[in-house]
Amino acid sequence: MVSRRNFFTGAGAVAVSTALVSRAGAASLPEAVIMDKAATQPPLMPPNGRPYNPVVTLNGWTLPWRMKDGVKEFHLVAEPVVREIAPGMKANLWGYNGQSPGPTIEVVEGDRVRIFVTNKLPEHTSVHWHGQRLPNGMDGVTGLTQPGIDPGKTFVYEFVAKRPGTFMYHPHADEMTQMAMGMMGFWITHPKDHNFMRVDRDFCFLLNAYDIDPGSYTPKVNTMLDFNLWTFNSRAFPGIDPMVIAQNDKVRIRVGNLTMTNHPIHMHGHEFVVTGTDGGWTPPASRWPEVTTDIAVGQMRAIEFVANEPGDWAFHCHKSHHTMNAMGHDVPTLIGVDQREVLGKINKLVPGYMVMGDKGMADMGEMEMPLPDNTLPMMTGRGPFGGIGMGGMFTMMKVRKGLARGDYKDPGWYKHPPGTVAYEWKEGGIAKPEPVRAPDADRMAAKPGEKVLQVTKPGKNHAH
Amino acid sequence: MQRLSTPLRRIALAAICAGAAGCASFSPDGGYAEVRQLAQQRSGGAIPSTAPGAGSVEHQVAALLAKPLSADDAVTVALLNNRGLQAGYAELGIAEADLVQAGRIANPVFSFGRLKSHEGIEIERKLMLPVIGLLTMPVTTRLERRRYEQAQLRAASEVLRTADATRRAWYGAVAAQQSAEYMEQVKNAAEASAELARRMAVAGNWSKLQHAREQAFYADSVAQLARARQTRTVEREKLTRLMGLSSPTAFTLPQRLPDLPAAPREVMDAEAQAMNNRLDMLMAQKELAGLASSLSLTRVTRFVNLLDLSYLRNTGETGERATGYEIELQIPLFDWGSTRVAKAEAMYMQAVHRAAGFAVDARSQVRESYGAYRTAYDLARHYRDEVVPLKKRIADEQLLRYNGMLISVFELLADAREQVVSVNAAIEAQRDYWIADAALQAALTGAGDSAAAATPAPRAGSAAPAQH
Ligand SMILES: [Cu+2]
Repeated sequence: MVSRRNFFTGAGAVAVSTALVSRAGAASLPEAVIMDKAATQPPLMPPNGRPYNPVVTLNGWTLPWRMKDGVKEFHLVAEPVVREIAPGMKANLWGYNGQSPGPTIEVVEGDRVRIFVTNKLPEHTSVHWHGQRLPNGMDGVTGLTQPGIDPGKTFVYEFVAKRPGTFMYHPHADEMTQMAMGMMGFWITHPKDHNFMRVDRDFCFLLNAYDIDPGSYTPKVNTMLDFNLWTFNSRAFPGIDPMVIAQNDKVRIRVGNLTMTNHPIHMHGHEFVVTGTDGGWTPPASRWPEVTTDIAVGQMRAIEFVANEPGDWAFHCHKSHHTMNAMGHDVPTLIGVDQREVLGKINKLVPGYMVMGDKGMADMGEMEMPLPDNTLPMMTGRGPFGGIGMGGMFTMMKVRKGLARGDYKDPGWYKHPPGTVAYEWKEGGIAKPEPVRAPDADRMAAKPGEKVLQVTKPGKNHAH
Repeated sequence: MQRLSTPLRRIALAAICAGAAGCASFSPDGGYAEVRQLAQQRSGGAIPSTAPGAGSVEHQVAALLAKPLSADDAVTVALLNNRGLQAGYAELGIAEADLVQAGRIANPVFSFGRLKSHEGIEIERKLMLPVIGLLTMPVTTRLERRRYEQAQLRAASEVLRTADATRRAWYGAVAAQQSAEYMEQVKNAAEASAELARRMAVAGNWSKLQHAREQAFYADSVAQLARARQTRTVEREKLTRLMGLSSPTAFTLPQRLPDLPAAPREVMDAEAQAMNNRLDMLMAQKELAGLASSLSLTRVTRFVNLLDLSYLRNTGETGERATGYEIELQIPLFDWGSTRVAKAEAMYMQAVHRAAGFAVDARSQVRESYGAYRTAYDLARHYRDEVVPLKKRIADEQLLRYNGMLISVFELLADAREQVVSVNAAIEAQRDYWIADAALQAALTGAGDSAAAATPAPRAGSAAPAQH
């Protein structure tokens, strides 16, 4: 355990024996490792047991284990945690071992796994091993297959990880509350043959959503759809680390959805195929190329592609509200509404008021104005060319030539080769194309007396 | 009858000497000095040294009106200029004239007769003195002195009443002016909302329904502003009348009400103070004393001492102290003896009961107005220290939310309106405090209408913020 502990101490994890557990039990319990950082941790190379190619959990980490009589023993502690959603915002969540989501559990097909679950929450909990084949009594559904784990108690789950693939874990006890509070984690069962579908980089993360009122810290657990924080592993852009990839790497990205809506996850610059679903690996013949895959509620997807295009490629949910942080959903559209004449009047009543939204909402990404405490701007994040104007479920794949195998360090912004960046058209450059007229423009024109909608177009008079 | 008989002369001389004490010349200022002193002791502000109607009044009034008028200045102007008060002083003059008249011997009548008869010419000279007048002079002088003193007390309480009414009117007028100003801000906020709503509708972003809602709020706020302005006019006219001015534009008021005092008045011995100070109690005492003497109730066993006050300071066995006052109302008892003047007894007892009744009412009024005063103080302070800062904080937080596009400008404006309305409520609470303060003062001195204390002045206007 020492090497592992050293590894994790260096990476920000702290090994503790839980004081909660009774003294008699403490000797026989594996240590519960606590993570105190929200940054992506390097993959955990398996120190013992069957070999496998470890995953990288985006803004997360993998839970160390101990081998005992040929059984892989893990210790999960369910507890309240403070998770940094992005720099400038922290949330009071419930999670496992110091973070939400909890650590990724990685095992190999055929491993016998024993998981100790200690409950430090104020109410009972349980853990459901989402997608696993296991004895019914290990399925973790409170009331149905087991009693709840009361506060202060430790339960043991034990089963054989039969099916390789991508899984999740989450409570099945007061799950509406506990999942709204961030109780969830990733589980990966690697194939016995570690060369089966081998990739160079294997990323994984969960999709989650929170409703934290601007200025507050704790999610509203009764929200069903109108969330205001859409996150990858309980992180919102610009708090989500980029996926760093060496050019021509074969890459797998595994995504699990524990929100209450679907997310069309979209990748720029490459096509991928879905190689794994909730049920396991997809037969190669059934795979079709895509640039977006919709991940429904409760589903997992593993996508694969060869990252042969260098650059900084956007990777995000395609629901545009999901690439935003906290915003008001009842704010009326102000586009085309000139507020300048009213501005003075409003300023007299509300000093500090500024006109926003009359040209659209991009202003929001540009202006830096004081916000309520603990609130992320709706759009944020800056790139080499200016404001990225996104938040929420957004990150980048940074594909670079010549990165070393285990190098996940952010390489900075992509340096575009000359002539490969869109540019402003200028007089004297390339000839401006002739305007194209619709073939039936005359027929379509408004007849005299016909009501014509007025469209506000930015003109000279509208420049601010 | 060529000469006064000796006994008669003696009576006349005695009467003149007896009358000499209260004798019987006009005071230089028509009794104003005493009135001023009575009022001064009981008034918060200064009572002008000049009686109304004197030559320099116009000058003084003009000097006071030249700058923004303070509450005390307004009182001074009213005391110098209020016509009703001047009429009261005239009454005082009449009473003084009566007193002087009573102390003077009626002009003797001298008659000269020349009779011519067979016996020759007989000249008869007669000096007729008003003997009856001389005999009654001591009594009438005493009666007139009492009437005069009562007129002085009445005049003094008229002064206090006018001062009190003016002070209240001043608070009302300043508050109404401030309120109207704030209602103007509410209207401006609503106007900005309505204007934005119009532009939203023109741009095609808003429905007619949403547009109409904002317009309706604006229309309401215009009506409220009109009402607030009317209240300002009414309050200002009230003050104008009390100051005896011909035009409401003859004076300017300060922008705001005086601040609340750091601590409320502690009036521990309020009831006792009232018993000593209230002019109506003083008048009742004088009436009793007068009746007692004029009815020759000489065998008084105890003199009239309406209220006997004893300060209680009890220290209990456990060490806790109870402090308070006990006011004892003593009914004076006379040994009526064999007197047959049953009517006099009845009259006297009637006055005793009246005085006792006054005392009960006065003490109740003092307690009530002190309670109202403390409530008004606490409320005004609550508005100043809690409600207004909280609304300000809400508005500040709302601006932050607007910055993050979490709310719209319409919510921001609705909140600004709400904040203004709370400031307005704070002004009204502050005004109610000062009016309660005046009412307490009035209850302690017996001036003014203490019933008015319990009835707060009308609200200048309030606006319900529109919800979006
Ligand atoms: Cu989404």
